Amino acid sequence: MSDRDTLSKLDKINSVYGMFHDFGGEWTDDTEFLFSAKDNLTSKGFETCAGSRILEGYRPAFDATAIARMKEAGGQLIGKTNMDEFGFGTFSANSAFEVPKNPFDLGRSCGGSSGGSACAAAVLEDHVSLGVSTGGSVCCPASFCGTYGIVPTYGRVSRYGLIDYGNSLDKIGLLSMDPAKLSEYLPVISGKDPKDPTSCVQPELRIEHRRISSVAVPRESVEGISDSVKKAFTDALESLRSMGVDVEYVDMPQLKYAMPAYYVLATSEASTNLARYCGMRYGRQDGDLSLGFDDYFTSFRTEYFGDEAKRRILLGTYTRMEGFRDRYYAKALQVRMGVIDAYKAQFRDHDAVLTPTMPFVSPRFEDISAMSPVENYKADFLTIPPNLAGTPHLNCPCGYDGDGMPIGMQFVTDHWNEDLLLTMAEDWDRQFEVRHAEVKV
Amino acid sequence: MDRDVVARVARAAHIKLTDDELERYSKDLADILDYFEVLDEAPGHEGVGVNPVEVTNILRDDVPGQEIDSTELLRDMKTYENYIRGPKLV
Repeated sequence: MSDRDTLSKLDKINSVYGMFHDFGGEWTDDTEFLFSAKDNLTSKGFETCAGSRILEGYRPAFDATAIARMKEAGGQLIGKTNMDEFGFGTFSANSAFEVPKNPFDLGRSCGGSSGGSACAAAVLEDHVSLGVSTGGSVCCPASFCGTYGIVPTYGRVSRYGLIDYGNSLDKIGLLSMDPAKLSEYLPVISGKDPKDPTSCVQPELRIEHRRISSVAVPRESVEGISDSVKKAFTDALESLRSMGVDVEYVDMPQLKYAMPAYYVLATSEASTNLARYCGMRYGRQDGDLSLGFDDYFTSFRTEYFGDEAKRRILLGTYTRMEGFRDRYYAKALQVRMGVIDAYKAQFRDHDAVLTPTMPFVSPRFEDISAMSPVENYKADFLTIPPNLAGTPHLNCPCGYDGDGMPIGMQFVTDHWNEDLLLTMAEDWDRQFEVRHAEVKV
Repeated sequence: MDRDVVARVARAAHIKLTDDELERYSKDLADILDYFEVLDEAPGHEGVGVNPVEVTNILRDDVPGQEIDSTELLRDMKTYENYIRGPKLV
């Protein structure tokens, strides 16, 4: 399907997969390629809701820097992709709007929270989509939908125009079936931006085609994963060895503290970031202005925030309260440093740390609705450590289970070493037969 | 978590909870905090990781400018004579 065909069939495609919250556009003389973006990146011409009813009707007057840079390179934004509300989820099921369906099985999740982006990358030919990762929201959906997905170092891509979840954790990345597109567009969206000071400390992104020659596999990462993931991952290690990559099992006991530390930091930051949504300035503003400000703000937040958003606001507010702050927030900041140290220790002897991406293949929607909040959070135990550490990471499809559902592996390299990941994705793609989902349109 | 604590946290966060929600969130938050207890045994660290990479202040020249027209910014906001409208403070 050519790009022009894609544009003409977006409506039909979206009616099957539900990847877009808002979409459309015409091919113009300036169009060189099509791209989509997660709906928590502000964009001119499309509604931007971040999966939340509280932002319904918000049509930003500006593009996020990452979107603006893709447009400057000849890209045409064709849609904003569905996601968990504000990024709060692992399956894109915590959305006030449509839940994207897995291209390999419409009864299963695309993963989250950039589920719509992974779906678009898997379904639309030659497509690249902007995703955002806070605790695994690019690599998880990439794994479930069988695409490549890269998350650069924290600060590599400007967060200007990103609707914040956790400021110290949010990173903008890319998803595509074609790893060459990651190499092509990561330099486009990267670079210093005076509008985001955290982007201004980065060294230049150099594409030198350096190769990963050795990987460390934490023993902890292969405990508690499904048999199908374990088999695909073990087979992938053999393939890597045949590519000349040294594989060594190591111990990284610090990783077990990463998940609780992440949830403390992420919800603490989210609970302050979401304080701005109160029925003024953005989205929903249809309240009774004769109310006092406490009642006015409370009425909006009570009516329009979803269940998981409220849960995380409550949790983050609690962990920042006087008397609990040191036990939770301050300790989590220390744990983050310990996890970074653990990675740096491995990078002295290895180019990358390698784990499966997710502990299981994409679950069915009825199984997701039966999961408790803690079970949901635990699903992220492999993607959270690099996100907490701000280290770049990559999902490569590495196998398929008996039902044909994709399985992914996750490479993590040291800060600012995205080049190693981009080379690995292209090398891996040359020797692994990546399956494309049959497009049901 | 105790229902009264959840209610106090919800008030601080400007969220009103029904009795059913209080019950459910009390249980959910208790389960989550139980899970967080592993942090107590985590080794401490002399560093504090507010950001995962070192971020230093880089100052730019202060140049007056307005990239986005104010009428466009206010287009979808509830306004009165170009002021953003909000609830009464007193």
